[in-house]
Amino acid sequence: MALLRMEDVTIKFGGLTAVNQVNFDIEKGDLFGLIGPNGAGKTTCFNMITGVYTPTSGKVIFEGNDISGTPPNKIAQVGICRTFQNIRLFGALSALENVMVGAYLRHQTSLFSGFMLSPRAIRETAELRKKSMELLSVVNLADEASSRSSDMSYGKQRRLEIARAMATDPKLILLDEPAAGMNPQEKDELRAVVHRIRDEFEKTVLLIEHDMKFVMNLCEKIVVLDHGEEIAAGGPDEIRSNPKVIEAYLGEPV
Amino acid sequence: MSLGKILGKRALSILAAVGVCVLAQMVLTQSVDGFLLRLFFLGGLYVTLAVSLNLINGITGQFSIGHAGFYMVGAYAAGLSSNYFFPRQSLDMPAYLLVSVLIGSVAAAIAGLIVGLPSLRLKGDYLAVVTLGFGEIIRIITLNQEAWGGSYGYNLNHKHQSLALVFLLAIVCIAVCRNLLKSAHGLAFLAVREDEVAAQAMGINLTKTKVVAFVVGATFAGAAGALFAHDSGFINPDLFKMELSFLILTMVVLGGTGSITGSVLAAATLFLIPELLRIAKFEVSQGVLLGVLVAVGVMVYTIRLVERTFHGEKTQKSLLLLGAVVMPYVVMFGVGKLLETYTILGDKFYKANDLRWVILAIVLLVVMLIRPSGLFGHHEFSWDWLRSKMNRRAVEA
Repeated sequence: MALLRMEDVTIKFGGLTAVNQVNFDIEKGDLFGLIGPNGAGKTTCFNMITGVYTPTSGKVIFEGNDISGTPPNKIAQVGICRTFQNIRLFGALSALENVMVGAYLRHQTSLFSGFMLSPRAIRETAELRKKSMELLSVVNLADEASSRSSDMSYGKQRRLEIARAMATDPKLILLDEPAAGMNPQEKDELRAVVHRIRDEFEKTVLLIEHDMKFVMNLCEKIVVLDHGEEIAAGGPDEIRSNPKVIEAYLGEPV
Repeated sequence: MSLGKILGKRALSILAAVGVCVLAQMVLTQSVDGFLLRLFFLGGLYVTLAVSLNLINGITGQFSIGHAGFYMVGAYAAGLSSNYFFPRQSLDMPAYLLVSVLIGSVAAAIAGLIVGLPSLRLKGDYLAVVTLGFGEIIRIITLNQEAWGGSYGYNLNHKHQSLALVFLLAIVCIAVCRNLLKSAHGLAFLAVREDEVAAQAMGINLTKTKVVAFVVGATFAGAAGALFAHDSGFINPDLFKMELSFLILTMVVLGGTGSITGSVLAAATLFLIPELLRIAKFEVSQGVLLGVLVAVGVMVYTIRLVERTFHGEKTQKSLLLLGAVVMPYVVMFGVGKLLETYTILGDKFYKANDLRWVILAIVLLVVMLIRPSGLFGHHEFSWDWLRSKMNRRAVEA
């Protein structure tokens, strides 16, 4: 059974069909890429998977359950977490606190014991802090733990978002343009981080990316969207030589 | 830290808090006159109101300006219920007050829930309008209830001023907010303030978080209202006008949104400035007043100029800043005196009492121009912070 299955997923905004009849399966342990030119509907797909939008028709199936239309916080609960294309960190909080917000999802103590600061709440907060520190070091941000997240550099903020999403302990992690705005060296670091997430932490990764070289070197399976339609699917080599993909990206041959 | 140690420390601090409150009441009632006693009482209430609004506004980021409404619900619920349930008996006061406070806070909590639930679809300015409307609706409904005394107000059969309970309420309110911020749960509230979309994507239940903030904030405001009603023995819808909501909001913003320490300090200062000027005995002529007003303006802008343009040694900078503070006053007092001798603006003298709101407004202007993020920003006072400051100073010396 596929971990995540998109079944004829379609969404219309008024007269505009943003995503039309998209089908793909993501197996557990995949490094899956979703690519396409601007406006192809990639982020809209993400928003449907994470519950921001409800598909007009079709189903998003996660571990055999239909999750289309479930609110975002429930989606995080079942084990899908994402990063954002336009970085959305909690600006006034420190890097460590940002990751702790993610880890808070798996928190056990009741809100009341938080207000009372019961010994259990203290202990659990300390555990969250420890777990979050470990995740920060996975994305090489351990030194920045106490710096305000809005003061950090762009590349670091992107990595911090990944750590925050990882902290919710998801089965499937969605990365929305994780390499955008990074320099080649930062991209290399990021690639190592993504591999580590998959191999060491055994997460399934779905990512949107514009940088072709980055996607082709990283992802094992790729789906290409153009104007909301799925135009190709397969391994990097198939995608690279697919005439439809070349046409979508470079235009028709003269 | 071991479990026993935590619990021991907790028990000790609860005992200490109760002890301090009772002791404060005993000492103050013996040594201070009625006016000052009431100042202490109201000061405690304002601290509670500001800190509880800070939970909604500063920590959770829900812009609410209807706090006087919750305060009023608490006051009326406590007043009405105490007249209904305990009409004439002579009662053991503190125990009976506790029941009353409980009723007041539960009523306010329900009001918080009623406002909180439907308002959750709204953000920012829109939410502000709804909460403002709530405060006014509650006030106008009460104004038209003849059974509740309408605009004449409502008399309570019992009247009791309990300083100990007010201080205890303020301490509990501060402790609850601080506890929240120290536990991981506080991060969920802060995350909602920072970015709702991201917070929800991280699995935080927005509805629950916001409603809890509203309910807890309203509960404390309601308890404060109950104590207030029993202190004066008389309540009237005019006591809970929009101005009160704005004053509480100003305290939160001035202290630095999200900072408990800031709210406490700002509540005490903002409340005390007009009250102490009421009894202060000094007069200012129009000329000098005008001089001071201009001086304050000049001061603020020179300070900002120095801050922005001067990048150099620290001592030099502080000297420049000191000059920027002092010089405008020297000049403008001279100008003021001159104006006075020529009586261009007439020779009317103002008493301190007449100037209370002007001075309050000037303080607000100055603080907001110099420190737009409020006195404390997002920071809190903590012993660790003080210790690190002291250590740094020691190292430098």
